[in-house]
Amino acid sequence: MTTYLELVAEKATGKVTDAVKREIGALLGEGGVISEPAQLRTYECDALTGYRVMPALVVLPETTEEVAAVVRVCARERIPFVARGAGTGLSGGALPVADGIVIGLARMRQILSIDVQNQRAVVQPGVTNTGISAAVAKHDLYFAPDPSSQVVCTIGGNVAENSGGAHCLKYGFTTNHVLGLTFVCADGSIVTLGGDSLDTVGPDLRAVVVGSEGTLGIVTEVTVRLLRRPEAVRTLVADFPSAEHAGNTVSDIIAAGIIPAAVEMLDELAIEACEKATQAGYSLDTAAALVVELDGVAVEVEAEFPRVREICDKNGTTKIRIANDPAERALIWKGRKAAFAAMGRMSPDYFVQDGVIPRTKLGATLAQIGDMARQAGLRVANVFHAGDGNLHPLVLYDGAVPGQAEDAERLATAIVELCVEHGGSITGEHGVGSDKACSMLKMFSEADLTVMARVRAAFDPEGVCNPGKVLPTPRLCGERPGPWRPHPLEETGVIERF
Amino acid sequence: MTRTERPSTITEAAQLLGDSRGSVVFRGGGTKMGWGGRPPDPALVLETGGLTKLLTHNPADMTASAEAGMPLRALQDQLAGAGQWLALDPPTESAGATVGGLLATGDSGPRRLRYGALRDLVIGVTIVLADGTVARAGGHVIKNVAGYDLSKLMYGSMGILALVGEVVLRVHPRPEASATVVVPASVSTAAASTLQLLASPLEPSAVDWVGGRLAVRFEGRKAGVAAQTAAARELLSESAPAEELDESAESALWQEFTAAHGAEHGESVAFAGTLPSRLTAVAEALARAADAAGVEARLASHTALGQHTAHFAGPPEGQAQAFDRWRHVVLALGGTVLLRDRPEEVDKAVDALGPPPSAVGLLRSVKNRLDPDGRIAPGRLGSWI
Repeated sequence: MTTYLELVAEKATGKVTDAVKREIGALLGEGGVISEPAQLRTYECDALTGYRVMPALVVLPETTEEVAAVVRVCARERIPFVARGAGTGLSGGALPVADGIVIGLARMRQILSIDVQNQRAVVQPGVTNTGISAAVAKHDLYFAPDPSSQVVCTIGGNVAENSGGAHCLKYGFTTNHVLGLTFVCADGSIVTLGGDSLDTVGPDLRAVVVGSEGTLGIVTEVTVRLLRRPEAVRTLVADFPSAEHAGNTVSDIIAAGIIPAAVEMLDELAIEACEKATQAGYSLDTAAALVVELDGVAVEVEAEFPRVREICDKNGTTKIRIANDPAERALIWKGRKAAFAAMGRMSPDYFVQDGVIPRTKLGATLAQIGDMARQAGLRVANVFHAGDGNLHPLVLYDGAVPGQAEDAERLATAIVELCVEHGGSITGEHGVGSDKACSMLKMFSEADLTVMARVRAAFDPEGVCNPGKVLPTPRLCGERPGPWRPHPLEETGVIERF
Repeated sequence: MTRTERPSTITEAAQLLGDSRGSVVFRGGGTKMGWGGRPPDPALVLETGGLTKLLTHNPADMTASAEAGMPLRALQDQLAGAGQWLALDPPTESAGATVGGLLATGDSGPRRLRYGALRDLVIGVTIVLADGTVARAGGHVIKNVAGYDLSKLMYGSMGILALVGEVVLRVHPRPEASATVVVPASVSTAAASTLQLLASPLEPSAVDWVGGRLAVRFEGRKAGVAAQTAAARELLSESAPAEELDESAESALWQEFTAAHGAEHGESVAFAGTLPSRLTAVAEALARAADAAGVEARLASHTALGQHTAHFAGPPEGQAQAFDRWRHVVLALGGTVLLRDRPEEVDKAVDALGPPPSAVGLLRSVKNRLDPDGRIAPGRLGSWI
């Protein structure tokens, strides 16, 4: 049997020659190609800045046909390419491949059509997440997924990462809000996945492409589902003497049959950072705070909101702040969403981690993370989507202190592996990318990865499309200490692993 | 000669597949074997009737997992103890449809409007490939983006890629209250009312049009349901007086409306998806196609979802002709159509799948990688694969 080791091609090795540069230059025009080293540097990493690779070329196409034309050249020459949106990804999914091409989609930022009565819009991949909601706000519509980077990040990147945000528990992820895609395949052909109908006939290829982190092809148009803005929204911030109290509150809210639009938790360190950055009015003297938001039909929200307050009281809340108007609600969210960026005020360096646990394991996991941090002699700030168990521990360190970066990276990895031990996942929304490809071995068996590799090979048989991301490769992971290493006999082809 | 096997574990299913040769068809409750293209008699029918266990149910995490052969009804009974349910109400539930079969066929019902389809509710899957490989994707947490979403690849796959062995599901609290408003409505009134409802702040869990009546259902807290029901009555009463149903009438109506999307002996059934605003065009095209072919046709629609079921009754050649004409129009409107159950003779006159989509090359490629010998359900997607 073929193993994933054989299926995950090492990256294609075609070279960007002067002839290739001329050919692509002729396709896109002078302004559409970047090859000056100083300018290329802008593209050497995404928001996971620890990994940097210089690409040979960056192209900035403006149409589906231009993207397809560039991909056709790459396919013919077997040159690896990486699609890139705003570069806000936190897992190195848009990390360039050395000697490869970065296809930047930032110039494709047109909203192509808005269908108000059917509540959908067709947009190019470079449109920002909030750009969609802003364009349809006058029709009382909005796009539901709301990653914290939503002001900057693009819908193309959201599709690649299957982005979530704070409101997933009730409204789902990008995959639940994408109806159709125009898709440039790895060979440069253009197809449509999904469309007007909620379902297509046959296997749901659209759903495999959403969240595939740019490893299957390039999305050049997205038909998104829009939601009617809810009639009422109520938001409160409740302080608690401990994270455990806050966690129990979340469980009790769910047990009462209430599905909040959002439930976010911040610990003391996270609150301090957010307050320094935004002065959003979070209490600085509390161990933990919950942001709970309900939305929907007014009567229903008004009936459930007092229940949430009661549940907070029952669990020993020390202070409840209720947003009195949309401006105050916006401020609360601004504070919460600034958490990652605000960490820079607390520590010279930090790792943002992303893991998921079953929500009921929240208390135990937080206690363990605390112990692990103490043992490592590092501080960990916690800010997370408590409703769906999506943790974002921020491991703080000082890169100037010898060895501390390595300690912090080890702790961050140990935390995410703890999530898997609790029955969770190595990533809830930031993606696998370059960062966690090797951690996939913690979560999936070789057979699981082999089948994923077979699906990948179905879309990209030549391995030109964002190689080295998502699936572990022997080159990247085989050399590291870890749970899995190829047996020497296996490496020489004497035995096969099943 | 067709051999039938009913493994009682995933391992046994994997051995049966890995050790056998020749074509194979998977069968759950057997309620949708007539959908799409029809594979010739296979060498092996692999039934999931021995895989019926509930594996986990974590009420506080709102997740459950089950073997693929578990009937939806049985799952609902088990979840009900904790005041929860799998928020899915397909027409084939009463006939014994299983969770695996429902995922593989993408079947859903009226309340998809509020809760989504199984596509939105499945969070993990264990599949078995034709070569006996057992693979898992997703997991037991609702939020998870590690690896490719093979659970959703199975959704609507019509059993052509792999056996669905186990599914992990997101479950919901059972709503505290439910109420339904019903109003007599022509198709154009139903279409207009549906778009009005979509534009309003109301959050119905179903909006359906069957037999000249438009029904709108609300679920949630008592107060919220009452307020929304009153608002909907006002909105819908502009053309004819709208009526709120009592509990037993409500349950009877939804049974009738759900069943209106199911199979009828001797008739052809086709399922279409379009933009919600296409309802009138879809209905008018159906009437014209039926007239031209000299058969009877009727339409049931989840109007806010843009999902429509057409039934064709009369001589099979006429059914085929009417279906083909109607499909032509629906495809031109940007929709999709799948021929479901129908008399055998209909197949002689019409291709169940119709023209392939632009992504047919990718479909074939995925099929070839997962089932390189083409063993699984050959012909299920007709001329496409």
